[in-house]
Amino acid sequence: MKDKAETFLELKGLTKKFGEFTAVSEVDLQIAEGEFFTLVGPSGSGKTTMIRLLVGMDLPTSGDIILKGTRLNDVPANKRPTCMVFQNLALFPHRNVGENIEFPLKIAKVAPAVRRERAMALLEQLHLPLDFYDKGVNQCSGGERQRVALARALAFDPEILFFDEPLSALDFRLRKALEKELKDIHRETGKTFVYITHSLEEAMVMSDRIGIMKDGALVQIGTPNEIYNKPINKFVAQFMGEVNTLEVEAAGDMTVRDIKGEGTFEVKSMPDQFSRGYLIVRPEVMKLGPAASGLPNIMHGKFFNDYALGSRMQYQIRSPSGDQWLVERLQDEVFDGTFGDTVALGWRPEDSILVSE
Amino acid sequence: MNEQRKRRLARNLIVIWTTCVIGFLYIPMVAVVLASFSKQRYFQFPIAAWTMRWYEKASTSLSVRDLLWTSLTVALLVTIFSVILAFFGALAFARYEWSGRKLYQRLVLLPIFFPQAVLGLALLLWFSSLGIIPSWQTAVFAHMVWIVPIVILIISIQVYSFDPALEEAAFDLGATRLQVLREITLPILSPGIVSGGLFAFLLSWGNFPLSMFTTGADQTVPEWLYAKMVSGYTPMVPTLGSLTMGSAAIMLLVGYFGWLAIRYKTAQIKVKSAD
Amino acid sequence: MATGNKSSIWRINPGRLAAIPASVFLLIGFAGPLAMVIGYSFMPAHTFSLLQVPSLENYVSVVADSYYISFFWSLFLASTAVVILFLVCYPMAYGMAKIFGPWANLVTALIILPLLISENIRLFGWVLILLKNGILDGSLKYLFDVSASGLLYTVPSIVLGLVYVYLPFMLFPLVSGISMVPESLKDAASDLGASRWEIFWEVELPLSMPGIMIGGILTFILSLGSLAEAKILGGQAVVMIADDIESAFTFAQNWPKGSVLSVMLIGLSGVVVFLLFRRIDLDQIIGRR
Repeated sequence: MKDKAETFLELKGLTKKFGEFTAVSEVDLQIAEGEFFTLVGPSGSGKTTMIRLLVGMDLPTSGDIILKGTRLNDVPANKRPTCMVFQNLALFPHRNVGENIEFPLKIAKVAPAVRRERAMALLEQLHLPLDFYDKGVNQCSGGERQRVALARALAFDPEILFFDEPLSALDFRLRKALEKELKDIHRETGKTFVYITHSLEEAMVMSDRIGIMKDGALVQIGTPNEIYNKPINKFVAQFMGEVNTLEVEAAGDMTVRDIKGEGTFEVKSMPDQFSRGYLIVRPEVMKLGPAASGLPNIMHGKFFNDYALGSRMQYQIRSPSGDQWLVERLQDEVFDGTFGDTVALGWRPEDSILVSE
Repeated sequence: MNEQRKRRLARNLIVIWTTCVIGFLYIPMVAVVLASFSKQRYFQFPIAAWTMRWYEKASTSLSVRDLLWTSLTVALLVTIFSVILAFFGALAFARYEWSGRKLYQRLVLLPIFFPQAVLGLALLLWFSSLGIIPSWQTAVFAHMVWIVPIVILIISIQVYSFDPALEEAAFDLGATRLQVLREITLPILSPGIVSGGLFAFLLSWGNFPLSMFTTGADQTVPEWLYAKMVSGYTPMVPTLGSLTMGSAAIMLLVGYFGWLAIRYKTAQIKVKSAD
Repeated sequence: MATGNKSSIWRINPGRLAAIPASVFLLIGFAGPLAMVIGYSFMPAHTFSLLQVPSLENYVSVVADSYYISFFWSLFLASTAVVILFLVCYPMAYGMAKIFGPWANLVTALIILPLLISENIRLFGWVLILLKNGILDGSLKYLFDVSASGLLYTVPSIVLGLVYVYLPFMLFPLVSGISMVPESLKDAASDLGASRWEIFWEVELPLSMPGIMIGGILTFILSLGSLAEAKILGGQAVVMIADDIESAFTFAQNWPKGSVLSVMLIGLSGVVVFLLFRRIDLDQIIGRR
């Protein structure tokens, strides 16, 4: 994917203000043709506004949206060659499945026979039975509705397909299945997908690249691996899921000291001119009890509680100063301790992630 | 156990009470229908002799025909104009976010809270100072002042449950604003529009206080009934009253079965797709 | 955040655009006549032009004349009707909101239907019932040889007419008010030890207050300005303010006097409506947002 380097969609200093409030601020972004790009952020981070600007539902306050060299700023949504799958899908309740899918073709004045043929092909492509054509959209299940909405958007044949958290209302298992299916459809169609979600996990599964948004700005852009292994700040690291965060200051070459006095720890790399910041350690790389012995980075705390997370077990250790630390183990290597005992935690220097802010 | 019994007792009392109140609402109408079949020139109960004579008389009377015709024309025109005005009015009321909306919501509902007799008189004053001679046409206008806000309210209830994302989706898929209105907004809001229209018709058909002051030389059925009521009893009053009640009932039944037919049609689509 | 800006796909704000037809119509059909009535109220008595020297003479004469009697009667009858309506409708509204389930739709339909029939036909039905030798009197005479004449053309018969005609306007706001009280709150109150009476007093009544207020004020205003009830059922028993207004305009041909009375009635109703509208959010009540 990444070898298609030429810019397809480009955002330059994109900004949207609602009165005093800046929802999107000076966003610069380039997306390549055929890429699956996901914008992730907590609610209120401006990602919804961002996608509405890209689709043409809202007009930017300043900045440019450029698609294949054409400036799209002043083109209304119905004239843009892009299309969106809505959060609530926005299937037309007074039309059946076939009419929903054919809607953009009807608007484009495609002959009825051709429309029907195309709708049938899309039903097949999305693994929906052909007799769904006459089904009412309100008779469809959640997963079926997702597919119909996607089919309708594909019928439009857009240059870029936008997704506004369409999977957020579904239950966990169906969501997982549809995430993969969506990625498969992306592969089959070769279209450019731009997806927004608040779940980084969802973004990880599907995306070629991820952009993390906070307070209307893009904080970090990278592949799922880069985001996971090299978060640039505490926000990104903590957004990835539960992590152990220690506030530290530099204590020499490749060593940092916890400011609460939990200890001195080794790291493998350090940001330039690091003086004070955060040390982040993921629960799954933490060692607990005997397994921690011999590691250069060691802390001690009281074993407080454990939680079964399905394939893994999670343990909570409380430090003398009241901090809560988490350790995760696979189910076949469970930790067999007694609540209240003092235990050791340890990790390797290469598992330390050090960020300045 | 005791608590359970108390609860059931309370429930039964409420059911009985509700039945009584509904009975209370319908008793006068039954009285009117009974009176229309009474042979006596002056109403007396129990009814001594029955007759259909008053209905025969009504069906051949030219003045009755004129009255019905005036009422019908007024009601139809009020329905058409009110629905058109109220459709857009309801969109402004409930669909769009705009700076003056809260104020608009309050101002547009004011006529509903206004004493109708006073409104009728004020309109009479207004028409005569503008040099317009009151007739059934001015009554159409007067009815609308009161009915448009009510229809706005009825359509708004439907608009509130309308998902704006549907319009946006259609727009995003290439439809023009006119196409969005025709393909999405109108069909989805149609139940609200139809019930708004039905209300507009029936409220105009039965209106008395506004008609009284604004029809000029023309007369609608409720006006005629009132005039006869105060000037003295004639059997034509219950007869014409029963006729208007009957026609309202027929309209409602037609509306109801039309609605059932639409439901049946959609149910058929479901059955077809279930095969 | 999202709902606030949905409209920006349209270049001109569509809400403002959509508000224009109805607003212009009501400006001509409602604000205009209203302004004119207010204007006439300052004109000298028995004039038919707005081009005289404005004065407060009419207001003074209305206070000096005995019009306060009809104002008093209107206020008294309207308040009585509102209290009775509340007592009649509350149990029923409670049933419709909480007990009847699917039957509530049928009850709703049965209560809306009479609304669509001219109120003077329905009031005439009561005339037939209460009349001397009418349905009630006639039946009692026939069955028990007891007479019940003299019921019609009395103050109670006017109250009956008001209660009868405006019942739905109290009932439906009450239903929506009561159904806005979440069942879970009542369960929670009961779980915390509240008795049924305490639940009603502490939870149900305060939370259904918006509905009660709308119902009460709506029926109060409608009764205050009512004309047909007092004329058809009350005969000469009592003169209500709307009746005075009508005769000032028509019989006495004194537009300024009628205007003053109208302005006073409108002002009274207007203050009440204003107080109501200040306290409630229409989006929430109508759209359940």
